[in-house]
Amino acid sequence: MYENYQFVGKDYPRKEGKARVSGKEKYPSDLSFDHMLYGRILRSPYAHARIKSIDFTEARKMGAVCISYEDAPDQFFNVRLVSIPSATYKDWTIFSDHMRQVGDFYGAVAAETEELAEKAARAVRVEWEVLPSYLTMEDAMAASENLIHEKVYLHDKEVIIRNNIACTREVVEGDIEEGFKQADVIIEETFETPRQYHCQLETKTCVVRPEPEGGITVWPTTQAVHNTRILLGKVFTIPLNKVNVVRVPGGGHFGSGIHTNPVALITTALALKANRTVKISLSREEDMYDHVRYPSKYTLKVGARRDGTLTAGHMKAYIDIGCHHVQALAFLGVMSGFWHSLYRMESMKYEGTAVYTNKVPTCAMQGYGAPQVTFGVESMMDMLAEKLGMDPIALRIQNYVGLGEIFWGQGPTIKSKIFSDGVVELIEKGAERIKYYELKKQEKGSGRYRKGIGFARGFHTSGTGAPMPGEVKDYTTAQVKVNEDGSIDILTALMDQGGGTLDAAAKIVAEEFQVSFDKVGISPADSRSTGYDVCTHATRGVYCGAGAVHEVAKETKKILFDYASRMLDTYPGSLELIYEEDTGETRISVVGNPERTATIAEVADHAMNKDWGTAIFSKSIRKTACPPAYTNYFVEVEVDTHTGHVRILRVVAGSDAGTVINPDLARGQMHGGFYRSAGMVLLENTQHDGSTGELTNKASLLDYKMMGIDEMPDEDNFEVIFASTYEPTGPLGAKGVGEAAFNSAPPAIASAICDAIGVRFTKLPISPEDILEAIGEKKL
Amino acid sequence: MNTISIELNVNGRDWQLSVAPNEMLLNVLRERLHYTGTKYGCGIGECSACTVLMDDTPVLSCQILAVQCVGKKIVTIEGLAEGQESHPMQDAFIEEGAVQCGFCTPAMVLTAAALVKEKPDPENQDIRDALRGNFCRCTGYVKILKAVQSGARKMRELS
Ligand code: FES
Ligand code: FES
Repeated sequence: MYENYQFVGKDYPRKEGKARVSGKEKYPSDLSFDHMLYGRILRSPYAHARIKSIDFTEARKMGAVCISYEDAPDQFFNVRLVSIPSATYKDWTIFSDHMRQVGDFYGAVAAETEELAEKAARAVRVEWEVLPSYLTMEDAMAASENLIHEKVYLHDKEVIIRNNIACTREVVEGDIEEGFKQADVIIEETFETPRQYHCQLETKTCVVRPEPEGGITVWPTTQAVHNTRILLGKVFTIPLNKVNVVRVPGGGHFGSGIHTNPVALITTALALKANRTVKISLSREEDMYDHVRYPSKYTLKVGARRDGTLTAGHMKAYIDIGCHHVQALAFLGVMSGFWHSLYRMESMKYEGTAVYTNKVPTCAMQGYGAPQVTFGVESMMDMLAEKLGMDPIALRIQNYVGLGEIFWGQGPTIKSKIFSDGVVELIEKGAERIKYYELKKQEKGSGRYRKGIGFARGFHTSGTGAPMPGEVKDYTTAQVKVNEDGSIDILTALMDQGGGTLDAAAKIVAEEFQVSFDKVGISPADSRSTGYDVCTHATRGVYCGAGAVHEVAKETKKILFDYASRMLDTYPGSLELIYEEDTGETRISVVGNPERTATIAEVADHAMNKDWGTAIFSKSIRKTACPPAYTNYFVEVEVDTHTGHVRILRVVAGSDAGTVINPDLARGQMHGGFYRSAGMVLLENTQHDGSTGELTNKASLLDYKMMGIDEMPDEDNFEVIFASTYEPTGPLGAKGVGEAAFNSAPPAIASAICDAIGVRFTKLPISPEDILEAIGEKKL
Repeated sequence: MNTISIELNVNGRDWQLSVAPNEMLLNVLRERLHYTGTKYGCGIGECSACTVLMDDTPVLSCQILAVQCVGKKIVTIEGLAEGQESHPMQDAFIEEGAVQCGFCTPAMVLTAAALVKEKPDPENQDIRDALRGNFCRCTGYVKILKAVQSGARKMRELS
């Protein structure tokens, strides 16, 4: 579809490239200001405790600024502001005397140097009352006293917590009892996915500077400058035009920056108290106690007719959310949505329960509920195919939710229609490239190394827009301006997490104006100079974010054409843009009258000197759909039956991103998504010691093993295929890639392992020990 | 705390500094000399984000005391291009799309440049060996491997 584009679909060096390879890019942790204080956070050594008394005498003697639950604002909030208030549970305060996990915070100190701050922190004396801790969901739900939270708020309504159950959600369509009656085959299985740690390379950091005229300037690690602004303004009662949150590139987020990181609130509290600039940068250990992916445990029951139609599905999920709500209600909703929107079912019932435990608070990580659900559902499609004697791929093609159908990946309140669908094309091409059917037939042999081939599919929504407003906010504000030399500036609070979102926005604007990519600039942004942007999450960057920029660019172009028509004495409708490759200039010409022409620069300059104005426009744009970005993976693995190690030999990935704006960066998204998902399948999990509640890896990266460069295939063995689709509602036909790159990989890898050794694992990660044990049982 | 006066050669320049005996090179580079391209990822030698070159060899600056660096030539990412606009390995990382968030990039580029200086035509396995400890959470390493090959080609062409 995009062969006709001049700039879109071509690869250019990314805009931040030079800054990043030369060490000149400044991340929050690199910032320092004159007379800045360094903060340290006071943390609980216990999994569950109350503070009886706290003594800052020694710390104060060292000159430290000290703050605790005794003197910080104590209103309730949720750190994540993506959902609307009526769907938001609030159980956070900045500090508390009730410690709910190891590493929970009750106060903070700031001093002239980091060393002094550390010393002062160590000198704070606390008298503790240790409470019984709940480190499993079972223990937590059995408890009737010493609850992790007693009282929380749903919006402004008080909610009394019972048995540590944070919230529940039920979604029903049709009659499942009838559905299961109709089924010829019923299967049921329990699946479990791990507490994967984001392990973004830059630990959570914030710098806050109180301003002389009141208010604060904030440089945080975040995916959402506006939500950070709104939360800080609310909690500290600062007028919102005096909270300025600056967009700073972060060293990775993967979902951990959708919510305002607690360090931003704590740093603000210290800075306001000290009336000095304060910086806090978490140690890796603190970061590991700060955030982690939602794990899942669910039973899935599916009924099907002999012809492969799905008559009923029942999913019952328990989610161990750790010690706080980072909008678990939304998480339960998307679990139901991602499941419902994978395959057509005549009836379905989803029951989700979120349970508090004395563990690290869980939050979104790439895929947000989709990887958890897709793992079970796709594994089950394999099992069902086997039972029905069908080809697993044919079964999927028969049942997947595709073109023209209604889907609600982001939960039951966000329903939209599917207008583009490259599923079958990607499956057919991928199967051909990797020689799926031949490999499938291959003898596994009885040697030490066994090869297997696996396949799975899935999707992510491109954003959370829909015709009707739902529980999740979704819009982006952008401004596009034409300068007097013909260059163009984009101003928006939209974040680029490294995937190329802002490059995509620039390329789309370049295409709209037919100006070369290097003439389009991305202006530095902060919350004061930009309108609201919800967040770069939910794979919305290109479709919703750059999509908003595109809509605005079209309006700016209208203004430019208006000026041009006055200058060339014609009608705006008679004008066209022509890019001259040899000069790099762009002309606005009257169609059929090429002599009536001026460059964009001449028009913009003329309009300024005539006092007509600048071609500039700004608006908030909400998308009224969130098209599925489909992906699939074919993966070939080799299992070492002596050690239990799994090696990824070859990957053929398929991405239906509509028009691909940045092909090379999009390929990079697929590589990265696969890498993190393979980590979740084979290695990654954080566990808490059953008695102390400490992380068993002791916050060491060596004991939180991730895959390294050794374990990933090279590019010759990692092929990415893009579907040739065009999304009619997207900017120049584009939809997302981001999280979809992760979602379908875990079941593909698990299915390849199953093909190699004949064992289907339903619990992730699949460790070498698990594999050896299974091999032992099967006497392979 | 006692301090020691030392002279450090960083990016071709001599710096007179007074440092604590237990002060890590990473801190001195970032906090005193403002070479913030050297990153903190763990502080305990597990991620390699803090890599710098010491007499052309990649070392972890969070594991080396500043006082151990006296008489050595330290090069950080800011000094790699040696006054040129850029080092070929830096260009290769941009061209091949091996930079996402970019936080691991300085350490990757330095380590790769040191490898190629030593071994101008590295096999993929050599690159894997050299970058084994360098942690990147974004890219999945596929493009990094490719960028190092292309950077090596560029370096060979220049030499
Ligand atoms: S910061 Fe030095 S190895 Fe991680
Ligand atoms: S590019 Fe983000 S850690 Fe490597």
